[in-house]
Amino acid sequence: MSFSDREKREQELDEEIGSHLRMAEQDRVARGERPDEARYAVRRELGNVSLVKEVTRGMWGGNWIPTLFQDLRYGLRVLRRNPGFSLIAVLTLALGISATTAIFSVVYGVLLRPLPYDQPDQLVQVWEQDSKGNTMNLADPNFQDLRSQNRSLQGLAEFGAGLESVSGGSEPKRLIVASVSSDFFPLMRAPLVKGRGFAPEDQRRGAGAVVLVSYNYWRQYLNSAADLSVVKLRVENESASVVGVLQPGFHFPEDADLWIPRELDPPLPSRTAHNWTAVARLRDGVPLQQAREDLASIGRAIKKQYGDEVDIAGVSVVRLQDALTSTVRFRLLLLLGAVGALLLVACANVMNLLLAQAAARESELAVRTALGASRGRMLRQFMAETLLLSLTGGVVGVLGAYWGVHWLLRLAPPDTPGLAGVSMNLPVLLFAFSLSLAVAVGLGTFTAMRASSGDIRAALAEGGRGSASSFSTQFIGRAIVVMQLAITMTLLIGAGLFGRSLMRVLSVDPGFRTEHVVTIDLALPSAFSPDMKIRRVQFLNELFARLRALPGVEDVGGTNALPLATGISSNGGFAVVNPQQISPRTQELINRAARGDVREDSALMKELTDFFGQLFRDPKQGGSADYTSVSEGYFRSIGIPLVRGRLFDDRDAMDAPHVAVISESLVREKWANQDPIGRSIEFGNMDGDPRLLTVIGVVGDVRERTLETPPRPTIYVNYRQRPQTTSRFSAVVRTAGDPATVIASAQKIVRELDPDVPPSSSSFATIFAASTSVRRFNLVLFGIFAGTALLLAIAGIYGVLAYSVARRTREMGVRMALGASAGNVLRLVMGQGMVTTIIGVILGLVGSFILMRFLQSMLYEVGAADPLTFAAVALLLFAVALLASYLPARRATKVDPIVALRYE
Amino acid sequence: MPRKERYQNRIELLQGTLDLLILQTLRWGAQHGYGISQAIHGNSGEVFQVDTGSLYPALHRLEKQGWIQSEWKVSENKQRVKAYRLTVLGRKRLASERSRWKQVMEAMAGILNPIGEESKA
Repeated sequence: MSFSDREKREQELDEEIGSHLRMAEQDRVARGERPDEARYAVRRELGNVSLVKEVTRGMWGGNWIPTLFQDLRYGLRVLRRNPGFSLIAVLTLALGISATTAIFSVVYGVLLRPLPYDQPDQLVQVWEQDSKGNTMNLADPNFQDLRSQNRSLQGLAEFGAGLESVSGGSEPKRLIVASVSSDFFPLMRAPLVKGRGFAPEDQRRGAGAVVLVSYNYWRQYLNSAADLSVVKLRVENESASVVGVLQPGFHFPEDADLWIPRELDPPLPSRTAHNWTAVARLRDGVPLQQAREDLASIGRAIKKQYGDEVDIAGVSVVRLQDALTSTVRFRLLLLLGAVGALLLVACANVMNLLLAQAAARESELAVRTALGASRGRMLRQFMAETLLLSLTGGVVGVLGAYWGVHWLLRLAPPDTPGLAGVSMNLPVLLFAFSLSLAVAVGLGTFTAMRASSGDIRAALAEGGRGSASSFSTQFIGRAIVVMQLAITMTLLIGAGLFGRSLMRVLSVDPGFRTEHVVTIDLALPSAFSPDMKIRRVQFLNELFARLRALPGVEDVGGTNALPLATGISSNGGFAVVNPQQISPRTQELINRAARGDVREDSALMKELTDFFGQLFRDPKQGGSADYTSVSEGYFRSIGIPLVRGRLFDDRDAMDAPHVAVISESLVREKWANQDPIGRSIEFGNMDGDPRLLTVIGVVGDVRERTLETPPRPTIYVNYRQRPQTTSRFSAVVRTAGDPATVIASAQKIVRELDPDVPPSSSSFATIFAASTSVRRFNLVLFGIFAGTALLLAIAGIYGVLAYSVARRTREMGVRMALGASAGNVLRLVMGQGMVTTIIGVILGLVGSFILMRFLQSMLYEVGAADPLTFAAVALLLFAVALLASYLPARRATKVDPIVALRYE
Repeated sequence: MPRKERYQNRIELLQGTLDLLILQTLRWGAQHGYGISQAIHGNSGEVFQVDTGSLYPALHRLEKQGWIQSEWKVSENKQRVKAYRLTVLGRKRLASERSRWKQVMEAMAGILNPIGEESKA
């Protein structure tokens, strides 16, 4: 049926009905009725003309598009007639949809979006597993066995990455530099935009260092150099030539900007030096499970061959995408669940609004049904209305989500992987659209079911007062509120538990001070050889001296492992050694190792490692501790108290006997009730210096990793004796006043001392705050969701009661006329509200009791069924529900019996 | 309440009988909507009152099903009216509807006046 046809039929229908009315009128007049009465009677007989026409038009059937348009037009009219209702419904839905869409965009960007590599589902990450199932990085010999013996991989690459100083570009930078083995680029299949990849002659010991750089680095710091051969970089003070530029966006692993062949350094012979992360690509058609079995059997074979010498017991193989997102997966899905709950609460409010609407339109709907409008047609009509509501809500919601994503990205903990891929892209928009559709279908079906379940006859007879089905309408309305309350309660309890955890964490004594402390992170050149070590000590001495001279500086120190800072902290096996245990032969080995560059002589190292290895494993002598190289000023600067003995000083020079300061927890572990001062410790596997350490002092415990983990036993060594080989070092400055004033001058000093060491500094308070950022993020989002849900639930209770009071005005009037006091009426209405609330709270308590167990891993020193939180939230809900029901109840008491009885 | 009494006097058309009545009325020739409702009212001894609101949807539905056809005519009092007449298909439909109605009547009669009532004793 074309549009013009349809228009013609519309006109004809008008004319047909018009002629009917005229004829009927003429007949009545002929029978003697007064013309005006006749006209009125005829009109009344026909009923609602436009409704009759509409139902008649429905009989034409045919094209569904005009019908759809008609439904939408009609729906629009209905919504415009109730602008208040429409606005509230649209905004409520927009709120739910925007929050859900914003969170989904993060979930999609981080968890679902395929990795931007060729055939990403073939990429896996590989770890060694110990006998307890803990995963560990790969040790070189194990890596080599896995690589050469497997039958399921196209390639297996080991890599390590860390911040290093890179100069030679337009300015020195601290960049993530990845050291990657030969299979890395072939298996990542990362295309180059310029130059060449690593060739076999680059990937061997002693080759001149060549690097690949990221597109970003090339653009920003190499001025998009056309000729790479003229570019010479200094990486960790060693020169390197750039041979190629990777395609834009490739920054694996982490946020690497520079890649260097791992083979430039010799492999370590130890099978327990777990230094390397590993990535692999499955062969075509090989399922993950097969690769797991293949690699695990190689792992078991290594264990069988080497026994106690190795800790590998199996191999873990995980899809790269899962491995990269494993830390945040649960957190994000939890947030998605929470925001989904919020959406449900929002939908529940709109449901209640629609319910009230439908009740008000009962007579109209009944007439439609009586005139022969089919159920399907009615359903479509409701769908059209809810579709309009939810699509409008969806559009507003998407706009809101744009802003929400922006805000989320700023709030999210910066170490969340894949945040760069989060945006409002097509899949996210599709999600928002489907979400709106789902909401429309759900709400439309619900209203249509409600509307067509009523008794038509009763509704017609009631003449539109609609109290006939008001009982079930109210019952459903209250059931919806119960659901809202239960969900809100769960969200509130979740937020409460997170809040209490954060408070507990913040009240933990970390063992150090954070106020008025500035940290300056340095990337120092590695110091393996004795002369490099001396240079590093000289550099640090001068740095400390000059920093101390700055005005406003109270104390200066340094450490290679700043507490709570993200990064690598070293830990490993140590042994309490009686110097008499060391044979002259071993002592000579120790001295030789201490004199030379240990990297040069792997056989020497192995002999020592074998000797001390057995001491480390002896439960009486050995143990595991953190190993930190510091200056004495470090303890004073961040306020770690000296408990016994002394700190380091200038006496403890490189050739003096090496000394150590240990933490109290180590004393408790090894020298309970004994004096540890003067005892000897062997802890040589951390920096390759096997000289014994003599304990000279004991300091307080420090929570180094996170505020939540109990302090670990720590052995502090003197930077003058053990300056460490790793590049990372932080100067710590305690200031009298605002730390910000010192930062600029401190950075200037570092640049003057060594232009190649790009410092980055921050206040320690910032680092401290960052260490709780994940908790804050969870708490803020849960708090917002729970708070919004609470507001919606309050509106829900208020709406249902207010509506009920409005509907029962006459009943209230009768009650008052029969002598009910205002107090009685107040109690009646509020009692109704309270019953609803109690059921909702009970359901919420039960639900939370079941659901909160899943949160346990994210809580700190708070039980998932924390009675205080549960009770507080229940009380809060009661209080607000009481308040929300008080207003309608008061209105009920204000009913004037006379007016009420006349009303309707 | 006089309105209530009127409701009781009026017999509601059984669902589905309106179609039969319309087809039957049109057997005697083309007729417009108002004429059809008047004819049903008159022929039922003024018992059946055709609800105008149901009449036009029914007419349009029957036309869509091809049982009746419509054309515009000028009536006795010089009005342009839309008149409906039976089609061949409509006649067949009427015959089958009538026989179905007969079955219903017989069945109802059988229930309301059971033949075996005397043999009970």
